[in-house]
Amino acid sequence: MTMNNRLLEVKNLTKVFGGGLGRRNETVALDDFSLTLYDDKPMITAIAGESGSGKTTLARLILDFIKPTSGEILWQGSDLHKMSKQELMGYRRQCQAVFQDPYAAFNPFYRVDHVFHMAITEFKLARSRAEAEEIVDDALKVVGLRPQEILGKYPHQLSGGQRQRIIVARAFLPKPRLIVADEPVSMIDASLRAMILDIMLKLKEEFGISFLYITHDLSTAYQISDRIFILYEGSVSETGDATGVISNPQHPYTQLLIGSVPTPDPALKWEEDIEVSAEDELGRGAKAGCKFYGRCPHAMEECNRSRPQLYSVGEDGHYASCYLYK
Amino acid sequence: MNRNGNGNGNGNRHENGHVLKVEDLKVYYWTGMGPIKAVDGINLEVRRGERFGIVGESGCGKSTTAMSLLRLIKPPGSIEQGRIVLDGDNLLELDDEAMRAARWSRISLIPQGSMNSLNPVVKIGSQITDAVAAHGGSGARAKAKERIIELLGMVGLPARVFNMYPHELSGGMKQRVCIAMAIVLQPQVIIADEPTSALDVVVQRVVTQTLIKVQQRLGASLVIIGHDMGLLAQLVDRLAVMYAGKVAEVSSAEDIYKDPLHPYTQLLIGSVPSVKEKKRLQGIPGLPPTLLEPPSGCIFHPRCPQAMERCRKEVPEYREVKPGRMAACHLY
Repeated sequence: MTMNNRLLEVKNLTKVFGGGLGRRNETVALDDFSLTLYDDKPMITAIAGESGSGKTTLARLILDFIKPTSGEILWQGSDLHKMSKQELMGYRRQCQAVFQDPYAAFNPFYRVDHVFHMAITEFKLARSRAEAEEIVDDALKVVGLRPQEILGKYPHQLSGGQRQRIIVARAFLPKPRLIVADEPVSMIDASLRAMILDIMLKLKEEFGISFLYITHDLSTAYQISDRIFILYEGSVSETGDATGVISNPQHPYTQLLIGSVPTPDPALKWEEDIEVSAEDELGRGAKAGCKFYGRCPHAMEECNRSRPQLYSVGEDGHYASCYLYK
Repeated sequence: MNRNGNGNGNGNRHENGHVLKVEDLKVYYWTGMGPIKAVDGINLEVRRGERFGIVGESGCGKSTTAMSLLRLIKPPGSIEQGRIVLDGDNLLELDDEAMRAARWSRISLIPQGSMNSLNPVVKIGSQITDAVAAHGGSGARAKAKERIIELLGMVGLPARVFNMYPHELSGGMKQRVCIAMAIVLQPQVIIADEPTSALDVVVQRVVTQTLIKVQQRLGASLVIIGHDMGLLAQLVDRLAVMYAGKVAEVSSAEDIYKDPLHPYTQLLIGSVPSVKEKKRLQGIPGLPPTLLEPPSGCIFHPRCPQAMERCRKEVPEYREVKPGRMAACHLY
């Protein structure tokens, strides 16, 4: 493939927090992460992991909220950290974000229209009032909201599901190429969650927008994603086609994770009780080797000594970082 | 105070007696625009030694129900009407002192987000000891330490947690401390409000399994409030589905997941994404009603795909529609 169709390239991205004098309290939040998204092949890529896995750190790095300790982020071939102010503005227009909390995203003193007006002014999206109204109406219709029921209202007059759809409409407004969605449905009730996820699928299919879907929820990742990265303590433990990884997990951590997702059927109970020792819960084991060493049922001598790389474990780019597959 | 039914666990698990009965309970929050009927005339029965779930979405009244079972509703909320009968005593008729004595020793609560309610500057052991002293009467404090270490063991925590501060523990460990705190006086009924929300799936599984183990060992009844139909399937014997302040349906877990009766229950189960089978996700059209001006007739009718003319006019009666299965729906 040529360079031109690469939308986003993340190369060996690492973020270390803390440190300071003596570097005693360093936390490696993200460790040597790489990923490529192609513009001509829009996909929903899930970044899944538990709290502390580094998934939000990755989102914040890509959105340029924080700077990496090492590694590169290339947008359409150019380095994010070497862009001119104008180029950076273009990047911010093409790469939008949706966050977890649809309550915190609004200023309660302004009508919800305000979020659209800010975007229109900031990115110069319309030349006239009429044009502005038209693109806002269009964006609201794309997310299944009726403009006359939404515009002119204050945030407290709308439900969480409606607000989150407004935020998605706002992200759609500048016609981005990529939307980074950080836990967009984790605060939405189950009955309204499907609607938001459906909108993401629609934006991908009809408008060719790629998504980075940051989530702790493997079941929604399974339902809407094309690819998936499973993060554990900042490192990729497994990656590949989302259906392949979730229906046939290879890394012992992924297996534990998927085995722990409750099924809405009392006949399918969790297989057995799992024991997590307090030491693992508090200290999380050795750091030279595999990060999952202390909790892994298959742990071997080798796993404690050095960190496994990603080994191929199946088709469609299915990889797992585990010595079982060396 | 009679404290029968405690102790040795599984014996009375399948006995049919009710330990807790809620009759026509109404809890309103008073606003300038009138009352919000958060809980609007619900009836529930919790059997001795069972795990009973109450499931629903935000605003359906499930947490208000949990809080009212311990009479912890604060103004502008108030319990307007009904009976909450715990082992023969109507809790709503007890004077404040008697109610205080009943809390923790007969009925205890693991509140929502309780792991964040631990006092950050007090060691775990002292916090649990305080709970014992506050509810267990004089002399309780002296005997507490040994008992608390035993309880920590029961929830899978090492004894040294007794001398640790909350910040030294993970979220799942803090949640298990709260479970230990709730069972310290061996109550007959434990209420757990969203006991695993905000926990990772693996930790959620550990905490849930701990809850089941503890409940079985005490032989207590456990009332679990939740929003996740998947999680509750792993956990409960019977389940009540709440919608907009009312109970839509109560059945055994087997029945409710295999053959949900109320259209809301059917849609709620259909909206749970699975890691086992891929299907286009289905949601529920429309929005939950505002409880200031609830819709006429059945409160679910504006969103119900099977709504009939009658549903718009007549409130469906909550009754036994099939053997052992309660529902409020005109379809039956």
